[in-house]
Amino acid sequence: MERMKTGVPGLDEMLWGGFLPQTANLVEGAPGTGKTTLGMQFIYHGIVACEEAGLILTFEEFPQQYYRDAANFGWDFHQMEQEGKLRIMMTSPEVSKADLEQIGGRIESLVQEIGAKRILVDSLSHFERLSKNPTHLRSIVHGFINSLKREGLTIVLTRESAALLGETESSKDAFAFLVDSYVLLRYVEIESTIHKAVLVLKMRGSNHDKGIRQFKIASRGLEVQSPFEGREGIMSGNPRRMADSFVEAFVQH
Amino acid sequence: MNELDLTGRLMADMNSQLLEFLQTKVNTFIKWDLVRFFHDNPHTTDTAENIARYAGRTASTISKELSELARDGVLEKNQLEDMAVYSLVTDDQVRDLLEQFVEASNDRQFRVKVIYHIIRGTR
Repeated sequence: MERMKTGVPGLDEMLWGGFLPQTANLVEGAPGTGKTTLGMQFIYHGIVACEEAGLILTFEEFPQQYYRDAANFGWDFHQMEQEGKLRIMMTSPEVSKADLEQIGGRIESLVQEIGAKRILVDSLSHFERLSKNPTHLRSIVHGFINSLKREGLTIVLTRESAALLGETESSKDAFAFLVDSYVLLRYVEIESTIHKAVLVLKMRGSNHDKGIRQFKIASRGLEVQSPFEGREGIMSGNPRRMADSFVEAFVQH
Repeated sequence: MNELDLTGRLMADMNSQLLEFLQTKVNTFIKWDLVRFFHDNPHTTDTAENIARYAGRTASTISKELSELARDGVLEKNQLEDMAVYSLVTDDQVRDLLEQFVEASNDRQFRVKVIYHIIRGTR
């Protein structure tokens, strides 16, 4: 089956080759975990390795910020824009949604102009201010995602989670049901040091790695490393050695 | 030296296209800010309220200027549902002129001329 590789070493293996084409893929994490970097890497890899132009839809950061951040990894987004392989569009959720609903809107024109196949939406969190009603909000985001799929795009959507460590309020999460895959980036504290963990929570229509792996933001972007071994409770943000749990459960009683 | 002499001297060596752009389109400081914003963010499409937020101003401050830039062919104004949204025109000639204007604005002497012209125009 054809896959859209992210270009993140290790993550494509976790995704069994990459995201499925024309799917919506949520990347969620606390500030600084690397959501936007992962999204930019997905766009960059599409342009340089797959000849797939990309679009970045930003609701907060200015294009200059992306140029700067990308340059730190050796990715020349400015040049890519000049070559017509990339477009960075700064707008708002309400305008982008209305724009996509009409025929021949600005986003549709940009997609056609450069033949975009990939899009980074940074971030989905901004949609939350459009409605306080979860059902209405879900309907808005559903329509937005479908309109991007209609344009033939494979979508990476970032989303901020409030908790730096520990569980998020997933029971209130309407977005997780709307997307085809769900990647979680988390901070994990091990022996007074903060590590980063990545987990593929779901992947519709495909198998995927169920393990929790370490990752780092290196000089050329994200790199997924080995799984956390001999520990449990990783996603709580404060894992324990499995031996400690054994002692706690059986020996002390 | 009277004012006309000074104006003539300040504007004499300015590219005629840029001078016309300045005199007819970018004739306030807020418009100068806005054209620079759209130069840096050429694919932005948004409402006056959101553009104001990005530019660190208020909608009431920039609404009239946005409308005038749209009237003068620098921006496009479109109606999306109940929202009026602004974006940079796709016309290559206008975009080239904007590029020249912003590039020239990096030069201190040019900025002085623009400031002088805008102040003079607002009297």
